[in-house]
Amino acid sequence: MSYFRITLIRSAIGLPRRSSDVLKALGLKRRMGVVFHRVTPSVAGQIMKVKELVEVEEVEKAMTKAELHMSRKPDPGYYVESRA
Amino acid sequence: MFKPTSSLLGGLLWKTPWRISQPQKARQRKRLRSVDRVVDTVSAALQRNGYEAKAVQRWYAEMPREEEMLPKDKYTIFDKKERKYRKGIHKLPKWTRVSQRVNPPGF
Repeated sequence: MSYFRITLIRSAIGLPRRSSDVLKALGLKRRMGVVFHRVTPSVAGQIMKVKELVEVEEVEKAMTKAELHMSRKPDPGYYVESRA
Repeated sequence: MFKPTSSLLGGLLWKTPWRISQPQKARQRKRLRSVDRVVDTVSAALQRNGYEAKAVQRWYAEMPREEEMLPKDKYTIFDKKERKYRKGIHKLPKWTRVSQRVNPPGF
């Protein structure tokens, strides 16, 4: 059971209504937004509709919103030994 | 001295150059390859999970890959109103976000 990790690289502004509707159906709202979907033929068809706008990877596990946020955060450069 | 140019006389003048520039061509190839990569990833993922999708099969049956395409098809498109029936692909509306790879039959 693997997932598609779909990133919106180019916006659908000015493109036919169909493309923005597909992006909405996939849950992509803004550029560089990331969504995870199960690998199924229907999702594959949706990706094919907007293949010029997205980048796709196949991943084993879907990340939660918090995990995604943490993966984007840079290393703070320190760690807390113990809370005062 | 006043030099009557079309932009001074008419105000706004937007022109699309006749030629497509080298960096534009390079970016066009990059985009073509990125679409190929997306389709490959989707197809490989489907295969690994034991599925198949009509849209993907159709793409492979009909569309050439970037490296198989002729320069003519990468940078120009068919246009019946044009001399020799070709014009630069940068004249195509939204050309950076649409897939235009094949010609009408016979061209």
